[in-house]
Amino acid sequence: MSFSTLGVIALGIYIGGLVVMAVFARRARVDLGPADHFLAGRGLGAFVLFLTLYATAYSGNSLLGYPGEAYRRGYSFIMATGFMMSIIVVFHALVPRLRPVAITHGFVTPGDWVRHRFGAEPASDRVATAVSILMAIALANFLFAQLVAMGIVVGHVTDHAIPEWAGVIGLAGFILFYETFGGMRAVAWTDAVQGILMLVGLAFLLSWLLGESGGLSGITAELARVRPEALAVPDARECANWASTVALLGLASVVYPQAIQRVYAARSGASLKRALSLMSFMPLTTTLVVTLIGIAAIPRFAHLDRLGADAVMPSLLAEWATAGPGATLLAILVFVGALAAIMSTADSVLLSLGSILAIDLFGRSNRDPETTHFGKRAAMAVMFVAVILALVPGLTLWRLLELKMELLIQCVPAFLLALHWPGLRASATFYGIAAGGVVAIGGALVGFGRIGGVHIGVLGLGVNLLVAVGWSVMSAPPGRKTA
Amino acid sequence: MSAATSVRRRRFRWVALGWIGVLYVASIPWYRETGAVPDLIFGLPDWVVVAIGCYLGVAIVNALAWLATEIPDSLERDDSEGTDEP
Repeated sequence: MSFSTLGVIALGIYIGGLVVMAVFARRARVDLGPADHFLAGRGLGAFVLFLTLYATAYSGNSLLGYPGEAYRRGYSFIMATGFMMSIIVVFHALVPRLRPVAITHGFVTPGDWVRHRFGAEPASDRVATAVSILMAIALANFLFAQLVAMGIVVGHVTDHAIPEWAGVIGLAGFILFYETFGGMRAVAWTDAVQGILMLVGLAFLLSWLLGESGGLSGITAELARVRPEALAVPDARECANWASTVALLGLASVVYPQAIQRVYAARSGASLKRALSLMSFMPLTTTLVVTLIGIAAIPRFAHLDRLGADAVMPSLLAEWATAGPGATLLAILVFVGALAAIMSTADSVLLSLGSILAIDLFGRSNRDPETTHFGKRAAMAVMFVAVILALVPGLTLWRLLELKMELLIQCVPAFLLALHWPGLRASATFYGIAAGGVVAIGGALVGFGRIGGVHIGVLGLGVNLLVAVGWSVMSAPPGRKTA
Repeated sequence: MSAATSVRRRRFRWVALGWIGVLYVASIPWYRETGAVPDLIFGLPDWVVVAIGCYLGVAIVNALAWLATEIPDSLERDDSEGTDEP
């Protein structure tokens, strides 16, 4: 049986499994309210929570974008392991304080926190709207990146028997189906399966690559021959970029709406801390592995262009599949695992986007069952637009990720600073976000994506914090406690 | 949990987070000569091995720090960390 035929069959089995799980999730629902649909009734235990956090955090960016960037940069992209780990470190500043407030007050979206925190101040709604708009833009960008990645993988897994555009449209339809049908429960359960598939698949691929290339020594020796600069000690600019990327990803990822909603959705604080404890190790089993895969691809595919580098993972798998029947089956497993990772992120993003649009931007109640239906319709509309955009090639997956993070990081003061500093004022937070956003977006528009290796979004956050703290201190009424 | 255990855990968590900061600073090869040809350890450039070693350390210390963290499920129980609403 040919690789493409096996690919189509595997895709069919996988999608069938997703449909069955969505049906079971639908039966398990308790009521029609937003908390049940968007947060699985706040009943996720440690194991499912861990796998859904894992599958959501490791996405098309991890499986296609990171190997692509490792291919472009060489060993300095080992920084990816550090920045993925920094997310779980920065969560220390968010989770222990946000969780008890969220559970006590029944939050569903990130905006619920912002309105609660600044509720008594006149600028409260403006801050909530600004945060929600930034989050919605970042999520739409993220969804778009997942759709692009889905198209690439489906094209390769079926040897283009199913063209990329058809893969994007078809799988987007399935995601919409099981997300609107089964809500967060379906998303979390499918995430659990998708997470396991991804872990197993990557382990197989790396062991094949190491065997083929003569181990790490063989890969490095080849690299030294074809691109010696890829293993040299990075320069000061690259080191600054390394530190900046750790800060950018670590800070921006903790205000991912879908991550915040998983903090709300956990069954208990104890489940959450066990899940986060396990998550600490996942960059070593996933990000490090995909980085090494990208580096191992350098000698194999010598002259890929910037966009072409995003396809190094599928290209390696296609090569692996020709090594014999066993390898073909394993390559198919990895392909499905990669697709699973991408779909699991896309579904979480879509669910989160639906809730933010319905509750935060259109002002629906977070307790009214009608809000659930409105959120589903909003998600469908966004998916429709994202699918159309995904059919037009453009930026690399890595650059899309950076752009999203540079916007999202401007929401950090509204969460981390607001949780830890009672003196932060709503108006100051709003002007901080506006100033940071102008620096980040303006810089990106005029071509200053990085200055001295530091991301423009990180510099924007510096301006944002200065404005937020300075304005809060200056506008505090006499005698008011600000620290 | 007794108050003494709670204080011990909180102190451990802060020390752990401090070590994580040190490991992050050490993971970036800013202290090495730019462009130098590295020695190989386990088939990898030495500065890459240092970075991976630091991240392994971060993973272990961070996991322990999470296990020592109290995450209250309501504001009523929220007494150990002083986490009253801002």
